[in-house]
Amino acid sequence: MIPDLHDKLRLELIIESPALRRAEDILSEANVHGWTVLPAISGFDGRRRWSRGTDISTATDMVVLICVGDENILLPLLSKLHTLLKRHIGVLDIMKVQVLRDAEF
Amino acid sequence: MLDTLLSPVVLFFALGAFAALLRSPMSVPQSFAKGLAIYLMMAIGLKGGVEMSQTAFSGQVFAVFGVAIVLSFGLPLIAYAALRKSSGLSRTDAAATAGHYGSISIVTFVAAIEALRLAGLPSSGYLIAIAAIMETPAIVTALWLALRGQKTDADAPALDRGELGREILLNASIVVLIGGLVIGFIAGKDGFVRLEPFFVAPFQGILCLFMLDMGLNAGRGLRRGWRALGLAPIAFGLYMPLIGASIAAALSLAIRLPAGDMALLMVLSGSASYIAVPAAMRLALPQSDPSVYLTLSLGVTFPFNIAFGIPLYIATAVWLSGAFG
Repeated sequence: MIPDLHDKLRLELIIESPALRRAEDILSEANVHGWTVLPAISGFDGRRRWSRGTDISTATDMVVLICVGDENILLPLLSKLHTLLKRHIGVLDIMKVQVLRDAEF
Repeated sequence: MLDTLLSPVVLFFALGAFAALLRSPMSVPQSFAKGLAIYLMMAIGLKGGVEMSQTAFSGQVFAVFGVAIVLSFGLPLIAYAALRKSSGLSRTDAAATAGHYGSISIVTFVAAIEALRLAGLPSSGYLIAIAAIMETPAIVTALWLALRGQKTDADAPALDRGELGREILLNASIVVLIGGLVIGFIAGKDGFVRLEPFFVAPFQGILCLFMLDMGLNAGRGLRRGWRALGLAPIAFGLYMPLIGASIAAALSLAIRLPAGDMALLMVLSGSASYIAVPAAMRLALPQSDPSVYLTLSLGVTFPFNIAFGIPLYIATAVWLSGAFG
């Protein structure tokens, strides 16, 4: 038997590590239930390749922030995140997903 | 100079740089490299603290602290003027880059301590505290240079001074260096004896391993970033260390610093940050281009100092001390 699935939005923000806290502040001010941060290893930004540095400041690292939640919570955040991305290195995408446990989001 | 160039520390750095320039897939795992950096900073912090516990503070020590603060605040002004006149960099990029050249590279400093040890030239432990102090004032000057007279961008997120302050004053290198220094000072020579098997004997080998990683980073940065830089900024990355070191030498002579300490102050003034300042610039001046200042500090100035700068500064300090000291 297939359990019930629930429609949600998934926000995926790839952003430079020093700006992560600012992105997290935006989510937490909007009472987002939870998110996960993953390290980004390497990539290409259209001009040059980049890869995760080894210095202890992590100033050059990129991270991926993943957040799944209700449309009415996540969509209003987009303008603030857009403003953040005008200043900091990063990209944002959003997609429709389905989750198993509605109450978790 | 040849002895320094052919020392294992420099040769491992060169190996890493050549491997990266030749696109070798070799890499040092990130967490391991970060652990190495913390080990090195802890080791020199502790050793400096132990040496400080054996030394009486004189007026000269306070004079060096004063000179260091003046250098860190002042060098970005010269760097900024040079960059704006010669390189065509925007005001923000020039200011952010200038901040790197007023601050210091702790790895260059560690390599210089080793070079001094090889040369048999003594230096004072409190220079480690000087290194930590010189990390920060340059950031203030760089922000002033970038933001003076500019209208606030209504679209920009407000600058969180607490967040920036934490990054400037509590970044990893300052916490580990100053922490190690204080712990070494409290432990003294007797307390340090038990730590010697971990912090003294393996130090050289671990420094070689770390320099291999630094070589990889520098080579990779240069390979990816040099085209975007242009000749004038690359030239700046080579002559600015000499300007900083020369000013430090003149000030060191004025306060009659011994040759070893003068050489280290020249190294600090001639080096460019790649830990504290990039992080602060990403927070305070996110519109600045990190590929400019990181390529310059890590890909141009750092290798220059490791291969040529350090032996040159040591030889100059010895000569100046002999001629005018």
